[in-house]
Amino acid sequence: MDGAAECAPLLRGRRGGRRLDRGRFTSDLAFPGEEEHIPRFRHFGTMLQGLADDLIDVLGPDAVKTAPADLVVYGYDADTAQAEHLPDAVVIPRDVREVCATVRIAKKHGLPIVPRGAGTGLCGGTIPVQGGVVVTFNRMNRILELDVRNRRARVQPGLINLDLSLAGGPHGLFYAPDPSSQKASTIGGNVATNAGGPHCLSYGTTTNHVLGIEFVDDDGEVVRTSIDDPGYDLTGALVGSEGTLGIVTAIDVRLMRSPEAVRVFVAAFETVEVASEVVSAIIGAGIVATALEIIDKVMIDAIEAHYHAGYPVGAGAVLLVEIAGYAEEMNANEAAIAEIVRSHGALSWTAARDPAQREALWAARKGAAGAVGRISPNYYIQDACVPRTRLPDALRAIEEIARDHRLIVGNVFHAGDGNLHPLLMFDRREARQVQAVLDAGTEILRTCIEMGGTISGEHGIGYEKRETLSLCYSADDLATMGRVRDVLDPARRFNPNKIFPSGAMCGEVKTSLA
Amino acid sequence: MKAVVEVPFTNAGTSWAVPEDAQALAAELRRCDADGRKAVLFGGGTLQGLGNPPRACDLAISTTKLNALIEYDPRDLTIAVGAGMTLRTLANTLGKHGQFVPIDAPHPERATIGGTLAAGWIGPRRARYGRPRDYLIGTTVALADGTLSSAGGMVVKNVTGYDVGKLFVGSLGTLGALVRINLKALPAPQTNRVAIASLPEATRERALEHLSTLAVEPTCLLFVRGFSREIDGTDGLEGRLFLYYEGTQAVVDRATRELRSALGAAGVPETTILDQNAARSYQRLIDAYTSTVGQRSLTLRSHGLPGDVLVRFITIESIAREYKLSLDAIADVGTGDLIARFVSRDTETISYLAPPLVEAARERLSGLTIIAGDPAVRGSIDTWDAPPPSIGKLRALKERFDPRGTLAPGRLVGGI
Repeated sequence: MDGAAECAPLLRGRRGGRRLDRGRFTSDLAFPGEEEHIPRFRHFGTMLQGLADDLIDVLGPDAVKTAPADLVVYGYDADTAQAEHLPDAVVIPRDVREVCATVRIAKKHGLPIVPRGAGTGLCGGTIPVQGGVVVTFNRMNRILELDVRNRRARVQPGLINLDLSLAGGPHGLFYAPDPSSQKASTIGGNVATNAGGPHCLSYGTTTNHVLGIEFVDDDGEVVRTSIDDPGYDLTGALVGSEGTLGIVTAIDVRLMRSPEAVRVFVAAFETVEVASEVVSAIIGAGIVATALEIIDKVMIDAIEAHYHAGYPVGAGAVLLVEIAGYAEEMNANEAAIAEIVRSHGALSWTAARDPAQREALWAARKGAAGAVGRISPNYYIQDACVPRTRLPDALRAIEEIARDHRLIVGNVFHAGDGNLHPLLMFDRREARQVQAVLDAGTEILRTCIEMGGTISGEHGIGYEKRETLSLCYSADDLATMGRVRDVLDPARRFNPNKIFPSGAMCGEVKTSLA
Repeated sequence: MKAVVEVPFTNAGTSWAVPEDAQALAAELRRCDADGRKAVLFGGGTLQGLGNPPRACDLAISTTKLNALIEYDPRDLTIAVGAGMTLRTLANTLGKHGQFVPIDAPHPERATIGGTLAAGWIGPRRARYGRPRDYLIGTTVALADGTLSSAGGMVVKNVTGYDVGKLFVGSLGTLGALVRINLKALPAPQTNRVAIASLPEATRERALEHLSTLAVEPTCLLFVRGFSREIDGTDGLEGRLFLYYEGTQAVVDRATRELRSALGAAGVPETTILDQNAARSYQRLIDAYTSTVGQRSLTLRSHGLPGDVLVRFITIESIAREYKLSLDAIADVGTGDLIARFVSRDTETISYLAPPLVEAARERLSGLTIIAGDPAVRGSIDTWDAPPPSIGKLRALKERFDPRGTLAPGRLVGGI
């Protein structure tokens, strides 16, 4: 089953009418002056035929796609603000040896290599900006080993996130990182972006659950890491590197024991600011919740119209609370949270009746972005983090920024982690709105940084945010990251033009290729 | 400047620097790098027994004055401190607000947070909470050329560029100096409890089998043999269970009931409960990991899966018998760590036996490192086992970050 193709229908609704023009920016959403900054690896004509021949020679015709019609779905991900860029070839390897061969062939032809999971990324991280070879893992999607006794698993990068928890379930185990995309996104993609999810609040992000990585380096050699190895924590540095340091071909992950008891509640408030103050109060009181999610009015109304999950339509904001643990802890934790909620003037406080309603509330929360189609032709989801106590300020600022740009904004976010996800509604056929969305998005990021926050909590930097990375870091900080890349990807062949600002990258490319 | 901590590999030619802040520390590194002098970093000196002695140590740099509380708003559950802050000070600072960071390291009154991370030290509570590195959300490091460089931040979720700080975890000061450390904190558990039970060998396997099915899991579950001066409880000849619980009173009480019933069913006669001194008793256990018996002991650590820790324990027991050495050991059933301290009657015997002993142990157990022992005992035995498969990348990182080999040359695995 082709995971990327599987996702395409979900995307088409908000991508309708886009013109595809190979190798060139077709969208006015490109960063100004971007074209000049792209160093060209690419050579046309006979050389590409040579690439296809070499790949087919080693991997066989059914593992290589080069026909333009076959390449289209690999030209974009779930980021609505980026233009497509077609790869020169797509490879669907069956095992690590085929990945090694692909890397060597791409290197021989001087082409970049872009790894791709399910294409659910939201920052253009898998768009092959310079063409080259996209490696997709639909065939490397198995659990290689499920070690119940030691609560760990070895998986291939194309394994769908949810499938891991489904496999662990009968043994009382689960895989904790649960991005909203978990029904489609892959563990390999999750490793690339250090994916989070609502339950990070209690369990941490992907990096806290990866025990080791097997990857293919720039020479096409296999390298294995483990967090138990002595020396520098290479495993930790690979997680969140967005495919720029090598091609991950297997991942050892930690599984956790499923909690004995789980309760889910929904509290309604007048405003999103009050809801976020409640989150601070719960955390400040030392209560351990497994998830604290806020949904604002715009999003509640969209979600309920779509899913009928039981969220209170008309409320200014709802707080979705999950507590999990041992049976003995539940009553005390529930009472403590209920008291905080009441003292902040909640409009309502409702417990999920049964596991089915709990699931319905979660399904609607995780599918929130999908419900936006009912209220806007397009949306642009931003991802930023602030220290938890700055949430009310950040939300007020986001509201103001949206108003200044005459945009509607909806918020559905991981409040317990201070991780904001404003969704800016727009119609991509209106040039003014498109520009306004981009400007507002950048302003939101700047505001979050000023509050001591950062420009990505879990989606990554990808292609979209790379110019804003320099708002977070000094030239020295970026140069240090560049040293890491010098070691693992000296030719900047792995997923080029991602994460780092174009100026910095160009300079480094020149240096390292000299 | 006088020696700040006693360490074996400094010598008369070693000078000491105790920089007041990160800039001053970076400047010391830059000068060493320019002059071709070799620099070795020190926190509290508690884990200097990890790693090989550096090939040279012209300047010993102490981070102990980089001990400031830099940022802490308890409502954010994040804290930024200088790398030289001791674990005790860190714990006290957080504890005042009902928070903690689950880091188990020996001698927290001297051990620094930077040193603990740089040593890659891990303890039993990671089975429940994850490793110290999992709490590291941001760093500032000083590189060999004097560059001060930051990554991460003060938020608990962050995917902005490479997580460079992770590379300094386990670096033992060979890649640069951690100078600022940002951590995420947790609400402190309401209460804690230690349970200890002597475990006759006949009941060992059955007891551990029963314990692995408990509904309420202990924070730590260890099987201890010996360490009679260091760790609470007595084991007769055959070892004892050491369990540490953290949580709400109701949960800890339920856990205790389940434990007693499981051990009773396995034929374990008696369980001792410590409530008053549980935290101290737990810290004594942690201190034991690196404790030495004068110049007569050598301590090895074997990493592996929890599922085979008892098998490895039995292997270690048989090696101790073969070499006629007495053995103190900790088998961490939660994490798979195995600590084995071999003790002889005198320095000569253990020094003579140490090289073949380590070789024999390495033949039978993988990932075996030396974590404690007097230099007289360790001699020139390599602390590290065979290098990991990623050694080529580790070497290349060292070369790129410290091209002149200024920082603690030879300290790390593979001679890095």
